[in-house]
Amino acid sequence: MVAILEKRTVRDFDWLIAVLAVSIVCFGVWQIYNAVPDANYWQKQIIGLGIALVALVAVAMTDYRRIVDSAPLLYGFGILLLLLVLVPGLGVKINGQTAWLNVPFLGRFQPSEFVKIPVVLMLAKYFGERRMGPLKMKEFFVAVAILALPIFLIMLEPDAGQAITYFPMLAVILFLSAVKIRWVVLAVLATLIVVPVAFWVGVQTGKIKNYQVERINVILDPENADPRGFGYHTVQSIITVGKGGLSGITEDTEASQSALKFLPEPQTDFIFAVAAENTGFVGCVSLLLAYALLLSRLIAGAREAPDRSGMLVIMAFAGGISFQIFMNIGMALGILPVIGVPLPMMSAGLSAMLSTFIAIGFVISVRMRRFVN
Amino acid sequence: MKLDDLSQNLPIRIGTIQIFAFILLAILGARLYHLQINKGDYYREKAQNQRIRSIPIPAPRGAIFDRNGKLLVDSRSTYNVVLSHEPIKTINPVDRLDEYAAGLNLDRNYVLDRLNIIKKRPEFETMVLKENATQEDIIWVESRQLEYPELRVELQPQRNYPYGSVLAHVLGYVGEINPKQLEKPEYQMKGFRPGAIIGKGGLEQQYDEFLRGKEGYRKVLVDSRGRVQDELERVQPQAGQDLISTIDIDLQLAAEEQLAKSVTKRGMIIAMDPNNGEILAMASAPTFDPNVFVKESKTPEGRKKISEYWQDEQRPLLNRAIQGRYPPGSTWKIPESLGALQQGVITVANSNVVCGGGITIGGKFTRCMGSHGSPPLSYAITKSCDGYYYRLGLKMGIEGIIEMIETFEFDKKSGVDLPNEKTSQTPKSWMPSVLKREGRWLDIRTVYASIGQDTVVITPISMLRAVASIGVKGRMYVPHLLKEFKAIGAVGNPTDLVYYPEKEAFGFDRPEPKMIPMTPEQESVMVKGMWGVVNGGGTAGKIRIPGFDIAGKTGTAQVAALGKDVGKNRDHAWFVSFAPAYKPEIAIIGLIENSGFGGDNAAPAVRGVYSAYLAKRQPSAIEEPQVAVK
Repeated sequence: MVAILEKRTVRDFDWLIAVLAVSIVCFGVWQIYNAVPDANYWQKQIIGLGIALVALVAVAMTDYRRIVDSAPLLYGFGILLLLLVLVPGLGVKINGQTAWLNVPFLGRFQPSEFVKIPVVLMLAKYFGERRMGPLKMKEFFVAVAILALPIFLIMLEPDAGQAITYFPMLAVILFLSAVKIRWVVLAVLATLIVVPVAFWVGVQTGKIKNYQVERINVILDPENADPRGFGYHTVQSIITVGKGGLSGITEDTEASQSALKFLPEPQTDFIFAVAAENTGFVGCVSLLLAYALLLSRLIAGAREAPDRSGMLVIMAFAGGISFQIFMNIGMALGILPVIGVPLPMMSAGLSAMLSTFIAIGFVISVRMRRFVN
Repeated sequence: MKLDDLSQNLPIRIGTIQIFAFILLAILGARLYHLQINKGDYYREKAQNQRIRSIPIPAPRGAIFDRNGKLLVDSRSTYNVVLSHEPIKTINPVDRLDEYAAGLNLDRNYVLDRLNIIKKRPEFETMVLKENATQEDIIWVESRQLEYPELRVELQPQRNYPYGSVLAHVLGYVGEINPKQLEKPEYQMKGFRPGAIIGKGGLEQQYDEFLRGKEGYRKVLVDSRGRVQDELERVQPQAGQDLISTIDIDLQLAAEEQLAKSVTKRGMIIAMDPNNGEILAMASAPTFDPNVFVKESKTPEGRKKISEYWQDEQRPLLNRAIQGRYPPGSTWKIPESLGALQQGVITVANSNVVCGGGITIGGKFTRCMGSHGSPPLSYAITKSCDGYYYRLGLKMGIEGIIEMIETFEFDKKSGVDLPNEKTSQTPKSWMPSVLKREGRWLDIRTVYASIGQDTVVITPISMLRAVASIGVKGRMYVPHLLKEFKAIGAVGNPTDLVYYPEKEAFGFDRPEPKMIPMTPEQESVMVKGMWGVVNGGGTAGKIRIPGFDIAGKTGTAQVAALGKDVGKNRDHAWFVSFAPAYKPEIAIIGLIENSGFGGDNAAPAVRGVYSAYLAKRQPSAIEEPQVAVK
């Protein structure tokens, strides 16, 4: 019995998705080493990969339906972690954000990364029932409420970058829960109108700070922005990416943009720029293709999911990862303002990698059970 | 799709999300193509430019020595605290005004001034905030590198003038190049940067090009805060050439001492070798301390001292020897006498002219100091008979006087190798304006011009040059202060990108002397008269040095009309001379402003310098008086 199970497990385990994820992480470790060879970030990342793989296998082996069923419990646990962060003395403050908890042996740990999983599970459980007709107003508000509590706590840290990554997951779940197309069109139009108007009002009333305006302006006109002002990060990132050229720098890495500290936070927020500098267009496009393949694989898994909740979980994760990739790389390429969103599987940081791998483990779990029903 | 609720178009919705995600990735790919493929070279260059910086290494400036190898000027290593432009735009240094002022012990307003200069000059590289940084300053800056990355300590060779105010006018000083000078093409062509140190005044300015050497540089890799990470390339500077001057510091000290002892403490003394024009001493009083300009120009006290120098009515910055212009009084009679002989107005055989105790011109009597009958030329020189020269001048006519002026080049600069020499004013230069104002040249002006007053205003250097030539058979040399520049070795190899070839030693490029036409007889009668001034009962009889015959001429130049010539309007006292009279080795001129009679004030000052010269030449000469050879 055990042997049969194991045989089936090995056969149905989605090796491609796992290998893709591990490859991207390894590429990331190389770039983290390039960014800050003297620090031990890259070693930590390898250890993190090991832990994340264990978590991935553990989640993959577990029946996802049992995980979805325990969503309220996990959700409550997640909220508890977010509250702990805010308890003075427990939360660790870095760069003005109190977003971390100290964990023995593992170092710092960022609950806002993890809480994505229970939030998605909670939404999937709620919308997982067989649908009858279009999305109701009540359902919409319940979904917003599920999201609102953790986002409220994350904004208290404050960590706008993390908070933003929750919205695409909600958007995907609502979109796949038979929201009427006219509402989608309306939402898109409203965004196109409200965001610029809100920005304009914010600038006029002084609610949006000058440095924030500067971060937007540098996107619109990087050459004329003050290269030493708040556009500095964007300008330096563009230079770093650009100098990579077709196949990356050949010269001494001692003189790289990150070694000379022109590039801020090269191992996390700007890891893509480091990759661009070192591997050039060839490396960057390969990375984008790897992401595309991974996403295709995830979405294929969603299509084959045996039930709605499994499909919703996978699609929410896929949407969240796509959004983060676009936000992070867009920032590195100077087409989006600087917001601290990590690049999935690339940026140094155990919490982000662990939560991504748990999500992937979940996807594998769903895929493994596609023929069971 | 295993789900059977196809009513919601679920597969289409999932597909939409997938396409949307791929579109986002495609946008990133397109942007990447633009940045890396289209503009890769541009950004590569940009990255290169922002991390490689060239930091100049100042060249040690050549030292200046006296003719016997005694050090007059050198450079010592000091440290400057500089504000560098790299990180400055991200911060507003004005916010840190108080921190800078407190930490570096500077005046707040001064710091503000410096910061304002920076704002106006966005292209500047570094700006000196404090010179002569103390050990405490250096520690303060270095221990705050993280707080204030814009501050840096730089090694700077600083000029040092060990003799202080001695010889200050000749040496000049150095300082930061003036922003207005920087705009001039001649400075731009030489590649001067803002804040470059250049010579100002004196030999420092005259020979700046040779003294300054060639700057080296370091190509360094800097990080985002401008901090040096690695050195990529270093080109050593080529030091400036050492200058050996013609000055004899012992004579110079003696001259300065004489001026300091004088009645008004204002005046000048020049000592020159008449046989080649080498200047042995050139003193001007009151004087200034060049160290103040070099070492204190960035402290409030120092700047106060400098502005006092500029505003002082006594004009300490003026080099009276070449920039002062004074009526020469009776010293003028020496070139005039020779002019009269050359022009045949008088002859050696018959040089007698009536004194008459004075002369009446246009109903106005102008007196002589005595009544000398009808003296010969040498007697008229010895006694400085004004009456003789009134009539001699009238005989020569103003045309004759102007011819003499041209012969002795009083209408030109002496050509001394110092900047900003003034040209004397003479009847020749005054003629056009006098004719315009008065319609004609009055005889009384000729009379005054014949005794070195009114339209005659002469620089001491031109007077010394003219008179000294009489002792050396009419060879009138260009006076100069450069004896030679020492050689300096090459820097680098000829195949290097930057190579500074060896610079050879060279001496002063002495022009041929102007020959003053003079027969031996004419020379003899002139020298005889001048010898008598000191040794034959003349106007400077009290400075006679037995065994060392000085030939000279006193001058007492009126500054104001008779009766008003007291106090600050007293006469200027002159004495111009050479010695020994019949084979001159040294010629000295002295002027003591507003001190009165030349024989009492200027002549003793000049004697003091002769004594110093004799003490060096033959230390025993003073103690053992000898019988005059003549």
